[in-house]
Amino acid sequence: MIDTLALALGHGLMAIAMLRLVTRAGLDEDPLLGELAAEANSKRKAASASGRNAARRSGGGGEVSGAAAAEAAE
Amino acid sequence: MKDLFFLAFIGYVLLLGLKRPFLWVLLYVYIDILAPQRIGYSIITTLPLSLIAFAAAFGGWLMLDRKEGARFTLRQGLLLGLLAYCWWSTGRADFPEEALTKWDWVWKALLFAIFLPLTLTTRARIEGLGLVLLLSVATIVIATGLKVVTGGGGYGELNFFVDDNSGIYESSTLATVAIGLIPLLWWFVKHGTIFPRHWTVTAFAAGLTFAALLVPVGTEARTGLLCIAALAVLMLRYTRRRFLFIAGAGLLGIVALPFLPQSYYDRMATIAEPGGDESASTRVAVWKWTLDYVEQRPLGGGFDAYRSNRFTYVMPVKKTEGNTTAIRYQQVEDKARAYHSSIFEMLGEQGWPGLAMWLMLHALGLWQMERIQRRWKRAEAETERWIAPMAAALQMGAVIYLVGALFQGIAYQPVMLMLVGLQTGLATYCARIDSARSALGRSVSRRAAAQGKMRGAVAA
Repeated sequence: MIDTLALALGHGLMAIAMLRLVTRAGLDEDPLLGELAAEANSKRKAASASGRNAARRSGGGGEVSGAAAAEAAE
Repeated sequence: MKDLFFLAFIGYVLLLGLKRPFLWVLLYVYIDILAPQRIGYSIITTLPLSLIAFAAAFGGWLMLDRKEGARFTLRQGLLLGLLAYCWWSTGRADFPEEALTKWDWVWKALLFAIFLPLTLTTRARIEGLGLVLLLSVATIVIATGLKVVTGGGGYGELNFFVDDNSGIYESSTLATVAIGLIPLLWWFVKHGTIFPRHWTVTAFAAGLTFAALLVPVGTEARTGLLCIAALAVLMLRYTRRRFLFIAGAGLLGIVALPFLPQSYYDRMATIAEPGGDESASTRVAVWKWTLDYVEQRPLGGGFDAYRSNRFTYVMPVKKTEGNTTAIRYQQVEDKARAYHSSIFEMLGEQGWPGLAMWLMLHALGLWQMERIQRRWKRAEAETERWIAPMAAALQMGAVIYLVGALFQGIAYQPVMLMLVGLQTGLATYCARIDSARSALGRSVSRRAAAQGKMRGAVAA
């Protein structure tokens, strides 16, 4: 009787836990790490875009276009 | 009936794993701890459940998992080194047949501990593994606690689901594991997201803690009492009102005393006078024998090398006749006594190199958890504030295990090796957050530099 009760309780909780895990969005892709990577990506793109814009505005001036080219190469 | 129940549960997890293969890793954890194939009676005993679950877990990870952020760490390297060393020592063991029997389960436990951190790439996975590990042990602990409350118990007399005194179903091992998981249990109450904060979760945790504390009482395992003492000392670090905590713990102990059976007092009394008990006397004799043994064989004698030990020692034997108790000192001869300590188990079986690897594995874990606690203790965001408390819980669990391991041969205990895997997974996850942050920092400074150059170009 005690064994059956303990087995039912333990398995019941594990069954619910596993069901909740399966339906959870963050199981295979971590939200925090994803957010950090996306932010870094967008900032990198913004940095290279601003570099390119600066290069364009300065009429293809040596120093800036070099920096922008380095960013674009990355 | 039980067989059908277990098979239905396993089938359910296998099905869920089709959507998320990580669940097959959890299935292996469950099968390895609870061993349903040993609890059942008919069909389930004939199925190689452990093998099926491991094949699903490893195959699922290999073929279907993203493996993003999976890293091979120093501690996994140590485990791999230990595995290779054990394989080598098994080939030259003193008792080849017995050594092969032990090797048969040790390599699986070590391999799984190496593999586990590779799968723990997200917070949800770390939490999921911790929860399944906890609930698998909890299932045994709840049954044990209820049996003690309803009047069962006694050293070696309490019936668990499996009645063969091996693995986690050995009373001292269960006591150590149950006490060691209490800090992790309370981490789930405060930071769990699968079962979020709710009074029912707190009530369950309180009941489970009580049941875990009852395991050493019900099984009369002396090591369990030491583990409870270790837990109390460790908790002092995280308690703000220390004097109140000490007074409360003392009061709780005094209140509990009248409820303990006389046999429990008798057995615990032998902690202070090890000479009065055969099990305690042999420990000291075996440890001395092991030290002599490794002088001859510093590289160890392979698994179960203790079988060649033989020694005599003097032990007091009490004889009560009427009102008089006579104590006679009798010479006792003993042979093939187990190590009763993981330190000496490692030393005798794997020699100094094996012991060094094992000690380094656990020392590195304690240090790593300490470092994580200090690094993340001020984190306030919901996505990060769970990290430092989890490192604290895993560190406390490891210390309690090591205290228990001083007096039991549980060096390769699978649950504890899974905790090592969980520690490694957490450390890798934290390192990934740090490296993502520094990548973000780099891109921000690059942007600032680009803007600075742009301003410079415009000014020129």
